[in-house]
Amino acid sequence: MITRARASALIFPLATLFAGPSPAAEDAALLKDLTSVIMLLGKPCGQVVSAKRQAENDHIASCKNGNRYRVFVNAEGRAVAQKL
Amino acid sequence: MMPAVRTIGIVFFALAAGCAGVKEAPPSVMAQTGLLMVDPSLLGPNQGGAVAAEPSRSEVKEEAAVALAPPPPPSKSRSAAKAAPPPAKATVKVSASAPSIEQPRKNEDPPPVAKKLEPPLDVAALKARLRDTNAIGVFTKLALKNQVDDLLQQFRALHRSGQKTSVASLRQPYDMLVLKVLALVQDSDPSLARTISGSREAIWGILADPEKFNSVA
Repeated sequence: MITRARASALIFPLATLFAGPSPAAEDAALLKDLTSVIMLLGKPCGQVVSAKRQAENDHIASCKNGNRYRVFVNAEGRAVAQKL
Repeated sequence: MMPAVRTIGIVFFALAAGCAGVKEAPPSVMAQTGLLMVDPSLLGPNQGGAVAAEPSRSEVKEEAAVALAPPPPPSKSRSAAKAAPPPAKATVKVSASAPSIEQPRKNEDPPPVAKKLEPPLDVAALKARLRDTNAIGVFTKLALKNQVDDLLQQFRALHRSGQKTSVASLRQPYDMLVLKVLALVQDSDPSLARTISGSREAIWGILADPEKFNSVA
């Protein structure tokens, strides 16, 4: 009985740990999205290596080549990559 | 004690197996997005002879009544058929020099069924498919929408001005945009990339024709 309780104590935290998409996966999707939009807008970047969320649909993206962009949706509803 | 250890072992094994199945984006995907690399097989028929030789795409184009690219030359297949020796000899040739025989075999093989079944998209369907796909993120979708709308605006202005000759000047921006879209979706949504590639001439036919453009816009 004690071992079963120990097993349960192990199982539930582990199941919770692995349930759902990890934040790292979401970050990877965001970085890919930011990389794609900067590329699409014709700005030199290469690859976005990190991003900092400022607000809804407003991120600061740091590129592999050292460039930093503020990627956001402006008042006209356009995606903009503004070099910082 | 032993059953408990076994249970814990099974649970750990199951968890490890579950984690092993999680797909991570390969680093090449991230690298490719910056370089705008496009799989040559996805390019339109006017980009290379290999694609123009596919009979299914030319059939699709005929259905769309666009038919800008020439259909696959029948003389090639005839000559290939004439040149093709009886089956026994052909197998000998394949084993002797595989690379030289591979090219005619590509022409003879029927393309996959998925390529035949995909009807060409129009502008609205293309927008809908891009909106629904999970291959690209929200920012990218928005930027793409902006660029598509900008291009449509240019077509609209051109058709209003009535200059038929300058429609050709929009062909390059159109091709660039299609290439960008293909580069974005080819890894994560290859079927959409194939459909867009196959619909390229049909969509251009709609955009370049003022009457068709006005009917869909």
